[in-house]
Amino acid sequence: MSVIVFVLSGAFAMCVPFALAALGELVAEKSGVLNLSVEGMMALSAVMGFMVVAGTGSHVLGLGAGMIAGAGLSVIFAALVLLFRANQVAAGLAVGILGMGLSNLLGRSYEGSSVTALAKIRVPVLSEIPVIGPILFVQDIVVYLTVVLVIVIAWFLYHTKPGLRLRVIGENPETAYALGMHPVAVRLACVAFGGMMAGLAGAYASTILTPVWAQNMIAGRGWVAVALVVFGTWRPIRIALGAYLFGAVGLASLSLQSLGVGVPSQVMSASPYLLTIIVLVVISANSLRIRLNAPMALGQNFSPHG
Amino acid sequence: MHKWTSRILTTLALSVSITGTAFAEPFKIGYLLPNPVSEIGWSSELAAGGRALEEHFGDKVELQMIENLGEGPDSARVMNKMAADGVGMLILGSFAYQQEGVKLAARYPDLKVVHIGGYLQGPNFSTLTPRHYEAAYLCGMASGMATETNSLGVIAAFPLPEVLNIMNAYVLGAQRSNPDIEPVKVIWLNSWFDPANEKASTESFASQSVDVVFSLFPGTPAPVVAAEELGIYVTVTHSDNSRFAPNRHLCAGQLHFGPTLITKVQEAMDGAFQENDIFAGVQDGTIEAAGLGGPLTQAQKDEILAVQEEMRAGTFNPFTGPIAAMDGAEMIAAGAALDDGAIKGMNFLVQGINTNLPK
Repeated sequence: MSVIVFVLSGAFAMCVPFALAALGELVAEKSGVLNLSVEGMMALSAVMGFMVVAGTGSHVLGLGAGMIAGAGLSVIFAALVLLFRANQVAAGLAVGILGMGLSNLLGRSYEGSSVTALAKIRVPVLSEIPVIGPILFVQDIVVYLTVVLVIVIAWFLYHTKPGLRLRVIGENPETAYALGMHPVAVRLACVAFGGMMAGLAGAYASTILTPVWAQNMIAGRGWVAVALVVFGTWRPIRIALGAYLFGAVGLASLSLQSLGVGVPSQVMSASPYLLTIIVLVVISANSLRIRLNAPMALGQNFSPHG
Repeated sequence: MHKWTSRILTTLALSVSITGTAFAEPFKIGYLLPNPVSEIGWSSELAAGGRALEEHFGDKVELQMIENLGEGPDSARVMNKMAADGVGMLILGSFAYQQEGVKLAARYPDLKVVHIGGYLQGPNFSTLTPRHYEAAYLCGMASGMATETNSLGVIAAFPLPEVLNIMNAYVLGAQRSNPDIEPVKVIWLNSWFDPANEKASTESFASQSVDVVFSLFPGTPAPVVAAEELGIYVTVTHSDNSRFAPNRHLCAGQLHFGPTLITKVQEAMDGAFQENDIFAGVQDGTIEAAGLGGPLTQAQKDEILAVQEEMRAGTFNPFTGPIAAMDGAEMIAAGAALDDGAIKGMNFLVQGINTNLPK
């Protein structure tokens, strides 16, 4: 029983970096911009967040610094693809590499140091409920924030007028422009929002999830986030569930190993990737729905002057 | 005119004396490290070994240390450049550098190579492997003494022979100081570097009533930091991690590369470099149990250090029979002890470990 509680409650914190970064990427992609620099944005914001927490002791400032760093890097990317209309894949990879390099450079003198972790919040009364309480109501503040963000983003994209406009721009920017919308401005805002979310994810990973700085500590989580957007078929709730599943299966595989269950550890280590892909592929097996959800103009640049 | 002549003469004399000192040119050493140097861990212990060289030899050596050097073509390029520039010795701190190191040592007769943590042999090439398992045995004793739940957990990367001998020694040490110890739990990370799972593994152990965690070849101090937070004890390889867990640090295998490297550099400077396969432990001053803390009483610490002294005297080998494998089969007969070759090639786990070894 304690193992199940451990896995289900721990999975929330484990999935936060994936969920935040993937949701940010989702918003950018829904507006038609494929930003492959998520890993670099997370790495840069992870080190910025860590430096600020190490210097000030404030996690709020650290997360804020991470968001600014992520947004800053994403604006460089936006300038390349929206202003100079560079190829989105190439520009994303290049900016991502820039972010990784800057992260390693800035983090040099912090290598191997640690900061204090952020205490978990015990929601009064609710956390006393057996099983459910420790799973849902003993989490850090960012976990709760993430849950709120998932709901707000899902509501915004599918139940508000600006959300509809955003999606139209991702489907067909020319038509949107002809109807009087501003594709470039909206895309800029979406990319910057994506950067901010990746920044929050990176700073969370380095200052709250594992409050230790080590070079390359993002370790591919940005790429998992990009993949989650695709496997979650561009639906926010599915992406969030995919991220949670990924975190839970990862923790379960560690717990089963320590219980001495007779499965080779390599299979266990691969299981989060395998299971998440299988589950998301199965729930999005309907190819019509994938075509409905994937933004038509994803990766295509738009010029208002033809 | 006289003034000028004397000036020219002094200049000449000076330049002669400068060329004269060229005979005492420092011995150049290229020192390559795979990771950025921090205050603890593999690369930082190697860097400390470099500082020990500088302290010992002073101006007689010139150390060129390059940290955070990629393990692919990057390292090959740097090593080739250093060899071509005429360094007298290369000290290579990563497993992945050894192929290129053997090649260069064979190509340049004046170049001596010391590789740390490998297995290849060759002309002008020596390899140095620390006996991590000796300190692991001592830390195992500490863990057996400290645990109240009799439940220990090991976080390890890959099931390599070196990892298996360290894990076995740790468990044997724990069984020696605490016969009631339960089968030791193991999490294989299948990665050299995975801070999030290092931390999660520590938490997973804590949720299963493990109260001492052994972080075997840690990628980061994440397990140590997590243990302090969770209020369980932690032991670790490579470095004393007390600063990350002031209250919960139980024991660490502290490396000292200085003594062996000083010997090797001296050999090379004397033109008497030996091509050997060095397996250096407590006896050579290469490793020791450090940061003994937590709930250990002075008597318990003394007991651990007494075993360390037996190792130093060469009278105690942790792999002395009878020792049975996980399935109960006898691996080492009573009274027999494994030789270094068998320890380096270890391919079994001892009884009292609850995990699966890939076949």
